Amino acid sequence: MIQFDPQMLLAGQYHDMLVAGFKMSLQYLFYGLCLSLPLGLLIALCRLSPFKLLRAFGTSYVEVVRSIPLLAHMLFWYFGVPEMLPTALKEVLYESPVESICAVLAISVYVAAYMAEDIRSGIRAVPAVQLEAARAIGLSYVQAMRLVILPQALRLTVPPLISQTLNLWKGTSIATVIGAAELMYEVGQVESQSFRSFEAFAFASVAYLTVSLVITGLASWFQHRYPVRTM
Amino acid sequence: MKFRWLVTVAAGVALLNGAVHADQLADIKKKGELVVGVLGTDEPQSYIDPKTRELVGYEVDLGRAVAQKLGVKPVFKQITLAARIPELQQGHVDLLAASLTHNKEREAQIDFSVTTFVTNQQVMVKAASPVKDVADLTGKRVATAKGSSMEVNIKKAVPTVTVISFDTSPQALVAMQQGKAVAFVNEDQSLARALVEMGDQRKDYRLLPTSISTESLALGIKKGEAGFKKAVDETLRELESSGKAQALYDQYFGAKSALKMGARRFKMESDQITE
Repeated sequence: MIQFDPQMLLAGQYHDMLVAGFKMSLQYLFYGLCLSLPLGLLIALCRLSPFKLLRAFGTSYVEVVRSIPLLAHMLFWYFGVPEMLPTALKEVLYESPVESICAVLAISVYVAAYMAEDIRSGIRAVPAVQLEAARAIGLSYVQAMRLVILPQALRLTVPPLISQTLNLWKGTSIATVIGAAELMYEVGQVESQSFRSFEAFAFASVAYLTVSLVITGLASWFQHRYPVRTM
Repeated sequence: MKFRWLVTVAAGVALLNGAVHADQLADIKKKGELVVGVLGTDEPQSYIDPKTRELVGYEVDLGRAVAQKLGVKPVFKQITLAARIPELQQGHVDLLAASLTHNKEREAQIDFSVTTFVTNQQVMVKAASPVKDVADLTGKRVATAKGSSMEVNIKKAVPTVTVISFDTSPQALVAMQQGKAVAFVNEDQSLARALVEMGDQRKDYRLLPTSISTESLALGIKKGEAGFKKAVDETLRELESSGKAQALYDQYFGAKSALKMGARRFKMESDQITE
């Protein structure tokens, strides 16, 4: 019978490795959110823009990115994209923590496509007459968006956006394939050095679950505190 | 009535338990097949022959020899490097023939057959690299495969290296070729293989003279299965005494192979390793 040894998770070298991985994953979540939210908003605005070219760009971005698995994105951003850069830039990148940079880029680009769709549906939920009314009192298109539509739309969008944050958080685990030292990677390291698979994956599961529950908790708190106003 | 039903279930559970704890050798003979876990992506140990689309290789032939000795049919199951030990422990495979390094830490988890191969772990760098030997890797980034003993050994050889591990060895090699890591660590036979694959480009790469470790590979056997281990060891020792072991080496690693790795310097006779 294989024994479960919680001691190795609470102290010692393996504990340190797992905690370091957990902190790295949280950083990916933070930077991923900082990049994907504005990118998602930008793409959503492109998709709703009055210009045909921007609309086409927005639509193709969402369709292409959503149709490719995150694993493929990860490998593409790590093995593919840096090779297209000029040599000087490439060398600078390879001196820095290239795994983490590529992982955050890949996950941000991926999640932004989903966020864009959620933001777009939020904007479309605001009745069209509001935009017309805003334009009629003399606001420009951008002003009408910024002052009238987006404040209402973003409030509608927050719950689905928080669930996308959940996807972002779970998606950081895919970065293990490019050797980025996040939680899943460290779990693999601990597993192969100690052969304690069960303990290592128990730690990972609890860590992912805890952060996910916090994010879900935030979502329901937000909905309670700032309910959607009827229009 | 309810009580009788309970008794039946209890008896069934007891029977099942009995079957699980029976001798593995008897089980294998009873079901008439030996499930051998191989990597299947590790030429020449175990790989798919591009012409026949069949699984072949040194370890595949060893697995076949064991099955032949037991008088059962060999069934090969492809497993991953990282999952190979759990697959054996959970009984998904009877025998592990998956480039498995025999070391003291693993002896606590599984049993090993007599040594089937001896490998040196070496470091590959670009020919133009300023790194002359292993000691020069201080503070450098080194690429390896996940779940491998290279990860641990390179850290032992040079404690200050940053190890970046990938799911497969080819990915680690690409990372080194692209300059994401200075060096790539692997076993000498895999490195020889990689150099053959590179063709004309092989002149751009070189191996560092010092090996970071010498390791014995062996077949993995579930812990405490003495009868099965004895049968496996006997098979391997017979291969050695009949000269078949040498012939297999020549076919897959030596003069007759594409790798041309030089003379064989080990024998399949002992299951003891020196640390």
